[in-house]
Amino acid sequence: MKIVVTVKQVPATTAEKRYTSDLRLDRASAESIINPLDEYAIEQALRLQESGAVETVAYLSMGPESAAEALRRALAMGGDEAYLVTDDALAGADEWATARVLAAALDKLAPDVALMGMASDDARGSLVPGAVAAIRGLPLLSYGSELTLADGTARIRRLTAAGFDIVEAPLPVVASVTDQVGEPRYASLKGIMAAKRKPLETWSLADVGVDGAALHGAALTRVVEARPPEAKPPTERIENVGPDEAATKIADWLAARKLI
Amino acid sequence: MTYLPTPEHDELRAVVRELAEERIAPRAAEIDATAEFPWDLKELLAQQDLLGTGFEEQHGGTNLDTLGQCIVAEEIARADATTSLIPIVQKLGALPILLAGNDEQKDRYLPRLASGEWLIAFALTEAAAGSDVASNRMRARRDDDCYVLNGSKRFITHGSVANVLTVFALTDPEAGGRKGMSAFIVETATPGFAAPRVEHKMGIRGSPTAELTFDDVRVPVENRLGDEGDGFKIAMGTLDRSRLSIAAQAVGIAQGALDQATKYAADRKQFDQRVVDFQGIQFMLADMASQTEAARALTYAAAARVDANASDLPYWTSSAKLVAGDTAMRVTTDAVQILGGYGYITEYPVERMMRDAKITQLYEGTQQIQRLIVARQLLQRAGVSTPGRR
Amino acid sequence: MSNDIAFLAEYADGQPSRGALELAAGAAALAKASGGAAVALAYGSGAKAGAPQLGAAGATRAVVLGDGEAPAITFAAAAAAAVKDFEPLVVLAPAAPNGRDLAAALVGLLDVPAFGPVRSVTVEGGKLRSEQATLQGTVITVSEPTDDAPQPAVVLVLANTFTPLEGGGGTAEVSDAPPADAGAFGMARTVESHPAEAAVANLEEASVIVAGGRGVGSEEGFGPLHELADALGGAVGASRAAADAGWVPYQLQIGQTGKIVKPALYMGIGISGAIQHRVGMQTAEHVVAINKDPDAPIGEFADLFVVGDLFAIVPKLTEEIKRRKGT
Repeated sequence: MKIVVTVKQVPATTAEKRYTSDLRLDRASAESIINPLDEYAIEQALRLQESGAVETVAYLSMGPESAAEALRRALAMGGDEAYLVTDDALAGADEWATARVLAAALDKLAPDVALMGMASDDARGSLVPGAVAAIRGLPLLSYGSELTLADGTARIRRLTAAGFDIVEAPLPVVASVTDQVGEPRYASLKGIMAAKRKPLETWSLADVGVDGAALHGAALTRVVEARPPEAKPPTERIENVGPDEAATKIADWLAARKLI
Repeated sequence: MTYLPTPEHDELRAVVRELAEERIAPRAAEIDATAEFPWDLKELLAQQDLLGTGFEEQHGGTNLDTLGQCIVAEEIARADATTSLIPIVQKLGALPILLAGNDEQKDRYLPRLASGEWLIAFALTEAAAGSDVASNRMRARRDDDCYVLNGSKRFITHGSVANVLTVFALTDPEAGGRKGMSAFIVETATPGFAAPRVEHKMGIRGSPTAELTFDDVRVPVENRLGDEGDGFKIAMGTLDRSRLSIAAQAVGIAQGALDQATKYAADRKQFDQRVVDFQGIQFMLADMASQTEAARALTYAAAARVDANASDLPYWTSSAKLVAGDTAMRVTTDAVQILGGYGYITEYPVERMMRDAKITQLYEGTQQIQRLIVARQLLQRAGVSTPGRR
Repeated sequence: MSNDIAFLAEYADGQPSRGALELAAGAAALAKASGGAAVALAYGSGAKAGAPQLGAAGATRAVVLGDGEAPAITFAAAAAAAVKDFEPLVVLAPAAPNGRDLAAALVGLLDVPAFGPVRSVTVEGGKLRSEQATLQGTVITVSEPTDDAPQPAVVLVLANTFTPLEGGGGTAEVSDAPPADAGAFGMARTVESHPAEAAVANLEEASVIVAGGRGVGSEEGFGPLHELADALGGAVGASRAAADAGWVPYQLQIGQTGKIVKPALYMGIGISGAIQHRVGMQTAEHVVAINKDPDAPIGEFADLFVVGDLFAIVPKLTEEIKRRKGT
């Protein structure tokens, strides 16, 4: 049984980020981390490996060469091997192009489960799992708070508006999980040292059988403007008053804005 | 020989820092307030293989180079000095075994230390023998296939929580401390051993500093390290290396205080501007930063020489500990100053950091002892005959 | 190719979701600008019977993808077939899990561009223009399809971006989607369903949210927040700390790993406002925070920041609001 977890390298949540003058995310401008939501997918895959349900855990990423760091971090948490698809033609790739390339790479790796985090921290589109499933013609099990495998099927526990459902599909599948799978482990020192010896292969677009020309310059969308958000008026503060007065002032404020 | 951190060292630092910021820093105030040993953090460090960094892979360790071990101590100390002592003392206590143990002794004890299953402490100091190691009085009398240990030790870090100790005692009292002392591995479960008291301290309050008593404690001959009479040399060899971890600890404490002071000064506004916009504050921060960097650079230079087995090792490790300890004290004091009144209250961590910093000027050889060591090395280099003791 | 504006409309027990009604209004507005028609893509239990009423919500036509209870993703093939049939300019999808999955499927099946989640979307000169807050809200980007991108552009729309029409009339012309093999997406089945005892409000659709954090301290501590939310006609939400502590169900967690909400009024009670929570609610129209820590980060970006004891202030605020509302 093999799981491939897709991993995206994103700017750190608290780092300062910006777009370059040609309106692309300046990936060098910030400290990079594994997309936090992918860490949960990694954790889920490793738990399945530890329980014996899965033999091989591999990682797949698409990005600049520096994205290999994120893959080494993933390998330091556990798992066996990693693959990076990197190509100049992929600079500025949007979700559609990302899905195309990941789908091609996943077809080549042919796992029983292609596992993803539910969204990426930077774009927050969360469309990649569904798009990849559509391109590969595989079932999609999305937003799982737990993934289990048995008898040629995959099951997820999915939280609903109230309560939860269990949704099942026959393998192979594309699945995405949320942060409810459990806290991701820290990479131990031995894990970090072992990660250096684990295989990490780099693939170009040609290696995954994608024609660069067919990728429309790696995007069907383009950013035409990037600007800082509108300056907000300074925060109004209510302090050093008793609770009655505070309550009255808040109610006044809400009423003035027709919120009550 | 290079002492610039490599990308692997940077990655190691990032990993330990993340762990320290997320799991250790939030516990620091509580550990200091309750003065309780953080068993949970010891488990966490053991799980992350951070207690085995000084041990070889064949014994279950990760065998990091000395620079890597310094980085681990530094990053943990930046979050909490007490917790940083857990890996530091694990190495300190084991050094006599690493330096003088035979293969059988190493195989018997090192794996459990590397995994963190057992804690070890270094029992050299006595009530009347601190800086003056040679005036140790504890006895080890040979009796058949055992030694019988009698006496007491004081100020032993982790002495009350350790499963095993490396203990120094006189096998030949007539010969005096320099020639008549031997080193032993003693398991604390042995009958006759007790840790009756721990000290109430100014800082590193969660680290138990214990008084140990030995009342006819029988130690098998197989647990003697090296030959009879090797004890003083083993102790000095240990301290020549272990004091570098204290330098690293001091650098970490200084960095932690500097980071807190910088953040505070950037947030706090007085007289219609941020505190950090006052040149006077910038000058203080600049001094704190450059001095911390200097202490760090010297520590790393010493680390490189430990790995190169330099013949003048004590010159380097004593210089590093001397500079780093004084730097930590200065930087933490300035950090309190920058936070003003807020620096004095327990709601902010810098007052704890200042109290914690002081110990780096005292243990593993006071700053005065370090100065004597540096002076002796310096004069040896210069071909001057070594000065008398006073 | 048409200038129509399509939108996903989810049905449950014959009722359209609030998201469907919001998107209907949005589609109607965009259709005016594009010169096309607003077309619903309706699915879910009771969709067939309910679809005509989408006319009052703003739709001219409604295509029924399927009726009956099944995971939303099983309607993906029908959605693709319907979209291929009339090639709208834009497909609007709600930025909630089902909407995202169907939008994703369309992107993969039809090789079309995707945008969002957007905070505004317009059609100008026959072209889509969308605005999103990226990088945790630190950068606002404006995007459009490339010149050679095929139609439609699929757009994820956050709740409360459009307002449902009021007092509209008319019925939508209903047709069925072209027949399509559900394919692999059809292989997902719900094998167990465990509803909770009490329904939990869908935060993504709430226009008022009263959210509690670590400062609330306990499950009981949330009591006054529930009362305040009731008085305001809103829902209760929570920070990750409160959800992890078990004081509220996980579905109420707002933030980086929880829900992204865009209410008209967000009240953060006992919430420090760390970035991981902030990214979940920073597009709220009005942000009010109550915290006993005058330096809490939420004070930097709230519109109104009240320093005080939430347990003293919240009940009094609830009382005052009820008094003004005359209830």
